[in-house]
Amino acid sequence: MAEARPWAPRLLWAGVPVALLAAGFLYPLVLLVWQSVSPDTGGHSFAVYQDVFGSEVFRRALGNTVWIAAASTAGCLVLGFVLALVIAFVPFPGARAVARFVDVFLSFPSFLITLALVFVYGSAGMANGLWTDVTGAAEGPFAFLTTPWGVILAEVTYFTPFVMRPLLAAFGQLDPAQIEAASSLGARAPRIVRQVILPDALPALAAGGSLVLVMCLNEFGIVLFTGAKGVTTLPMLVYTKAILESDYPAACVVATVNVAVSLTLYGIYRAVSRRAGA
Amino acid sequence: MLVHSRGGRRAVWALFALLFLPLFALPLLVLVAASFAGHWSGALPSGPTLDHYDAAVRGESLRALTASLATAAAASALALTAGTWAALSAHALGRRARRVMDLLFMLPVAVPSVVAGLALLVAFSKPPVLLNGTRWIVILAHTVLVTAFAHQSVTAALGRLDPAYEQAAASLGARPWYVLWRVRLPLLLPSLGAAAGLCFALSMGELSATMMLYPPDWLPLPVLVFGATDRGSPFTGSALAVVLMGTTLLVLLALSRIRTKASYR
Amino acid sequence: MGIRFEDVTVAYGRTTVLDSFDLTVEPGEVMALLGPSGSGKTTALRAVAGFVTPARGRVWIDGRDVTKLPPYQRGIGMVVQSYALFPHMRVDKNVGFGLRAQGVPRAETAERVEQALALTGMGEFARRYPRELSGGQQQRVAIARALAVRPQVLLLDEPLSALDARLRSGMLAELARLHRELPDVSMLYVTHDQIEALTLADRIAVMDRARLRDVGTPQELYRRPRTEFTASFVGNANLLPVTVGRDGGVRFAEHDLQAPTGDAAPGAEATLCVRPHAVGLGDGPNPLPGTVTGIQWRGATHRLLVETAGHRLMADVGELRDPPAPGDTVTVHFAPDDAVLLPAGTGGDDRDG
Ligand SMILES: Nc1ncnc2c1ncn2[C@@H]1O[C@H](COP(=O)(O)OP(=O)(O)OP(=O)(O)O)[C@@H](O)[C@H]1O
Ligand SMILES: [Mg+2]
Repeated sequence: MAEARPWAPRLLWAGVPVALLAAGFLYPLVLLVWQSVSPDTGGHSFAVYQDVFGSEVFRRALGNTVWIAAASTAGCLVLGFVLALVIAFVPFPGARAVARFVDVFLSFPSFLITLALVFVYGSAGMANGLWTDVTGAAEGPFAFLTTPWGVILAEVTYFTPFVMRPLLAAFGQLDPAQIEAASSLGARAPRIVRQVILPDALPALAAGGSLVLVMCLNEFGIVLFTGAKGVTTLPMLVYTKAILESDYPAACVVATVNVAVSLTLYGIYRAVSRRAGA
Repeated sequence: MLVHSRGGRRAVWALFALLFLPLFALPLLVLVAASFAGHWSGALPSGPTLDHYDAAVRGESLRALTASLATAAAASALALTAGTWAALSAHALGRRARRVMDLLFMLPVAVPSVVAGLALLVAFSKPPVLLNGTRWIVILAHTVLVTAFAHQSVTAALGRLDPAYEQAAASLGARPWYVLWRVRLPLLLPSLGAAAGLCFALSMGELSATMMLYPPDWLPLPVLVFGATDRGSPFTGSALAVVLMGTTLLVLLALSRIRTKASYR
Repeated sequence: MGIRFEDVTVAYGRTTVLDSFDLTVEPGEVMALLGPSGSGKTTALRAVAGFVTPARGRVWIDGRDVTKLPPYQRGIGMVVQSYALFPHMRVDKNVGFGLRAQGVPRAETAERVEQALALTGMGEFARRYPRELSGGQQQRVAIARALAVRPQVLLLDEPLSALDARLRSGMLAELARLHRELPDVSMLYVTHDQIEALTLADRIAVMDRARLRDVGTPQELYRRPRTEFTASFVGNANLLPVTVGRDGGVRFAEHDLQAPTGDAAPGAEATLCVRPHAVGLGDGPNPLPGTVTGIQWRGATHRLLVETAGHRLMADVGELRDPPAPGDTVTVHFAPDDAVLLPAGTGGDDRDG
């Protein structure tokens, strides 16, 4: 674009915030990666990587992280699409209040969900209490909270609003006349959703989905509050190694892998969804 | 309207309620209920009490609340300044340079907060800059993490801002600084308010990086909530959580009132 | 000197949107930039304002080379289609914006704001916000804001296009009055509406596809267009393919017609331009027989569409008490002096004109 101003001062202005970001974030991040190849014994080697990659805990954490994030994202996309669809196109009295509630929900921290789920599905919680009251059994059947499924439930609950918000914005811009035209041509609801609404919402869905995928990959609070030994994810492992075991080289290695996984999956997702969406 | 028959609509709404209420409304209700409960072993809580709140607004808890508020206020102010600056200066650059800057400032979102915390720990635990063990490292971490969101919201708002305004101002003889101060920033004010709210809420609830970094004399509220549940007193944790949510909501409400005043449409 | 374009070329990437543009607007002159959508009118205006940098050439304002100056140092006033009134300022603050930005003291600003608002008849709306004004009122405020800085040149980019037809003709008269009251201000007025251009402009510059096609007074362009493109864009025109004859006439299909041929070489292909209102019904000079293919009643006139020798002629005649019906055979005619001979192939379709 042809502009009348010289570029040098503009570059200088942009340099200030970039320098701040570099000092407060990029430099520490680089240092962290550097530490991961600099064992305590001195010199530089990938020895710590070998140790970490060889350990069962790490491999389980890696697998858990990816599959929990993928499952949660899928759940969020489906649930978010359905809920947003109802709010936007089958509105009921109070639908706006629900949309507002979704906004508020976004401003609460994630770990509150796990905290609440303990009261609902915990061993002494509502669901099991209800079960024992009704059946007279000694124990309720709900014990999934400390398994990956508990984490997935919490993540779906917490992150679905992140999918709903861009979707509701996109639905708000969809011309109602388009839907009226389609239904006047005899198309039924599922068909309209598939052929009119879904294609229009794909970019918003992709944007929300990629954000949620990254956030799920990086989620720590929910896993921490679950407190289960069985569910270790990469962020959890970083915390364990660094804070509980004070094994900083190993923590740096796990952290580096975690960053690589997050950025890679995010990159793949963006590339794929850009091709699908636009 | 998508569904025309009355019955069909009812069925859709029923499905909505069935999904929405247990998933989203129930957890929040349960938290509030638990914060007033003496016990919970069964279908419903029992032994209503205010003891947890009594504990939640004094001593250590009060200190945690102030620490959280101070951290959030400082981090959002810094993040908003840096994010707005970055967005404005990126906006003046060419397409490619702008993309690079957007990518750089989005990085803290893509990198796990725990890792960001560890990175700061690694970088600032030794001279020349020794921040570890002070509250400043917590504030720094929060600032870095929420700057990404501030930058993103301001960038989006800038994209929506009609360039005709600043061009009209320039054609009338206003220098870039004057245009920024008198035209662009006032027009961005509603979006800046929204960004401030987002940053504040995120910082209030930040746990991941904080768990890696907090010094003993600067325990933000989320850390205390975890401490309480970890010790096996989930009811105290709930009361603290309700205080956390309430404070966040109050600040958001105040910000949104300023925002409506500042919007001209 | 008001505004001068000197060989100005602007390109976006590989597309040239303004090509070797040369034009001078005299001090106090109203120049209309007329052309179809996408022809580069706005780009030319933005080159004067400083929002695009020419790849080549210079722009002069008041004898000053401003090509390298940023917009805020150019001393212009500008009104755009959307008005771009600052929504967070009241009318008086909007109008005073340029003065305050240039460091004019408060008291003087207030005085000049009052003058500018009085000039545009908006004095009583000084304390309103732009959103509380109608489209026409916003338009006046935008003009007042541009005039308050006392620019030597006023740039207007389709300022009336957001208004309805009635308001538009009223504002057109207002702009003409403003121009009389500010005789020193040069105006560059971008429009794609020929009525606006013909009404307001001292001269019209006709643009097509990044190029200047023609410049002249409205009368010149209307009565004596130099190209087919100008003829068809400034007013309506019948364009007949003819061959120049030997004896000061032209041959159209089977008919020998009287027309001024100037120095056109005998035997050359050319285009004869006749304005529809110059075509009469019935016998007369240059008679042409034809068949009526359509008739439109336009209140004061009838427009007849007559097919003659495979070509369609438009004739605007005073309202007929007894109009012919489609299919009727009629004769139309035009005076030799009302016809203009144009070189062939100067329409909008060729690249180099
Ligand atoms: N920022 C831009 N980037 C790329 N091309 C542009 C840009 N601005 C304008 N153009 C192109 O330049 C050409 C001329 O545009 P311009 O706005 O000057 O036309 P115009 O004559 O004012 O048309 P209109 O009557 O529709 O306003 C158009 O083909 C347009 O697509
Ligand atoms: Mg234009």
